[in-house]
Amino acid sequence: MQVPVDATQDYVVANDLTFKRGDRYIFNHVNLTIPRGKITAIMGPSGTGKTTLLQLIGGALKPQGGSLHVNGEQITHFSRRELYRFRRQMGMLFQGSALFTHINVFDNVAFPLREHTKLPPAILREVVLLKLEAVGLRGAASLMPSELSGGMTRRVALARAIALDPWLMLYDEPFTGQDPIAMGVLVRLIRKLNDALGMTSVIVSHDVPETAEIADYIYVIADGQIIGQGKPADVMENQEPKLKQFIHGLADGAVPFHYPARAIDVDLLGEVPC
Amino acid sequence: MIKLAETLVGLFVLAAVACLFFLAFKVSGLSSYHQSNSYELTAAFDNIGDLKPRAAVSMAGVKIGQVTAIRLDTKTYQAVVTLRIAKNESIPEDSSASIVTAGLLGANYISLTPGFSDQYFSNGGTITDTHPAILLEDMIGQLLFSMKKDDSKTDDGSDASTNTAVTSTAVSS
Amino acid sequence: MLTQVQRLGRGGIRKLLIVGDAGIVLVQTLFRFPKLAKSFPLLLKQLYAIGVFSLPIIIVSGLFIGMVVALQGYNVLVKFSASAELGQLVALSVVRELGPVVTALLFAGRACSAMTAEISLMKTTEQLASMEMMGVDPLWYVISPRFWAGFISLPLLTLIFSTVAIFGGYAMGVHWLGVDNGGFWNNMQGAVDFRLDIVNGIIKSLVFAFIVTWIAVYQGIRSVPTAEGIGLATTRTVVWASLAVLGFDFVLTALMMGGW
Repeated sequence: MQVPVDATQDYVVANDLTFKRGDRYIFNHVNLTIPRGKITAIMGPSGTGKTTLLQLIGGALKPQGGSLHVNGEQITHFSRRELYRFRRQMGMLFQGSALFTHINVFDNVAFPLREHTKLPPAILREVVLLKLEAVGLRGAASLMPSELSGGMTRRVALARAIALDPWLMLYDEPFTGQDPIAMGVLVRLIRKLNDALGMTSVIVSHDVPETAEIADYIYVIADGQIIGQGKPADVMENQEPKLKQFIHGLADGAVPFHYPARAIDVDLLGEVPC
Repeated sequence: MIKLAETLVGLFVLAAVACLFFLAFKVSGLSSYHQSNSYELTAAFDNIGDLKPRAAVSMAGVKIGQVTAIRLDTKTYQAVVTLRIAKNESIPEDSSASIVTAGLLGANYISLTPGFSDQYFSNGGTITDTHPAILLEDMIGQLLFSMKKDDSKTDDGSDASTNTAVTSTAVSS
Repeated sequence: MLTQVQRLGRGGIRKLLIVGDAGIVLVQTLFRFPKLAKSFPLLLKQLYAIGVFSLPIIIVSGLFIGMVVALQGYNVLVKFSASAELGQLVALSVVRELGPVVTALLFAGRACSAMTAEISLMKTTEQLASMEMMGVDPLWYVISPRFWAGFISLPLLTLIFSTVAIFGGYAMGVHWLGVDNGGFWNNMQGAVDFRLDIVNGIIKSLVFAFIVTWIAVYQGIRSVPTAEGIGLATTRTVVWASLAVLGFDFVLTALMMGGW
């Protein structure tokens, strides 16, 4: 689009990335790279700032420290205008799909095209129908978002996200709240789209088996640090306790089941504070 | 659907503009008397009381114009009132103007009493025969004054006789 | 004692921060009109949703208020045998006070609450965030058309309200209570001044429009993205907008009476 593309360059490079909410470190000097053309998964327990990472990559949040290069550009110093221009090269699938409820499926998918291109209506219609065809929902073009099932909603949102043929796709928890069939459809779609369109994909998820199935590389984040990374098979085999607990879904382990609290006998039998 | 919305928004704006015209011309009577359809007269009064610009000018109870300006003549110390009269109302040159009150507590307006002359006022004419405003405050003051006088004269004067005396004093003054 | 003072100060500073934040949102909204050709259809759509849909409630309440003022006023005026002054009473009270204030209050309840709820629901369902990620500024696409539509609609609605109310008063006074038709309009025209009464009424409604729509979009965009947050934001919009209308009405009336 604007910057010369170096096909060997990593798409996202974070160096010493630091982000704090209040006094709590969401990312504590994190280094990570997302290779071009691959599907990279960011995994970790809920509340570890996986979505925050996507927002950082999308420029919606600014890090307090470190650098973040996306497609060779340092995005932390972008002005608002540059940021909006820059975002046209990325698509994002939101957790709640975030379809516009006041317009139908066709107009939802057409929205980014209408805002950013000057396509004549006939071609616009063709592009939209092709995108819907790619997610298997060409027949649902005239439905309103409220008439769709959860799985269909997410696929429409996916069609909208790829409408501008982005180079980078960000998926925020694409598998949550989906039935097994819809989940299988989505997994295949993400893989297919990534390979067919030559995109770079980042999946944020805590659904281990589905993510491991399609990801080329996995980062596991906990407590503001990367606690494990590697190819899916390597991560699955890893014996590091925190990692093992997350991957295999053990209730208690290195990440305690209990939120930090006073000893239970003090809390229940002791004096009431405050 | 979209066309309908656009039409309705257009109608909405037009209706509001029509309302503005209604408020301007029918409610506030803006420029119902302007240069082209009226002529100007002036009249000097000793006292205009509570008369305000935009007060009505009427003849025999019919509104024929309005007060456009009031200023003080520093030579004669009279109030010079400019009136705008509708063009189609012809007023004899010997007509008189008086400032009266609508009802007991209403606003002041100018009432013209027609004369008998064959000559009619033209633009810029002056009404010479004028009667100043009758001020309620002055009337009450005189009433109290005369009541005091009556009291000092006769202690046992009946209410009725005092009242008649007062009324006649007030009117004669 | 000291802690109470501290709390007061902290509360004051927090309120001040909100006003400052709202100011920033406002400035960002106002200076966000990059593509006029694309903005106009959006504005038109909001004028339809905000202005046209508010018409029924405005017209019906205007009619009733005009009739009530005429009825009440007549009963007082007739005691002084000044029933001919009814036109003046109705017109002045409607044009100066009731028109701008009641329309703004109804608008806050009818349109502003909907505006806040809509914006905060779009925020809750990530529609605003997704728009932003698609490189479309939600301040331009969602907020700005709503703000301008509200700012334009309320004065227009006020004009319509005032007209309908005066007609209501006319119908009540002349056709029911038997006030003289000519006297009714003549008296009104003699007493109502275009500059002092009608223009001042329009100025009032412009100020109200600015404030209530500002409050509505600010509450929407800064709402907490939960079901509870939407309810809270909507309530706040109606309460704050109504209080602001009444407060500013006092200030403006005082300024205007002071010969402004």
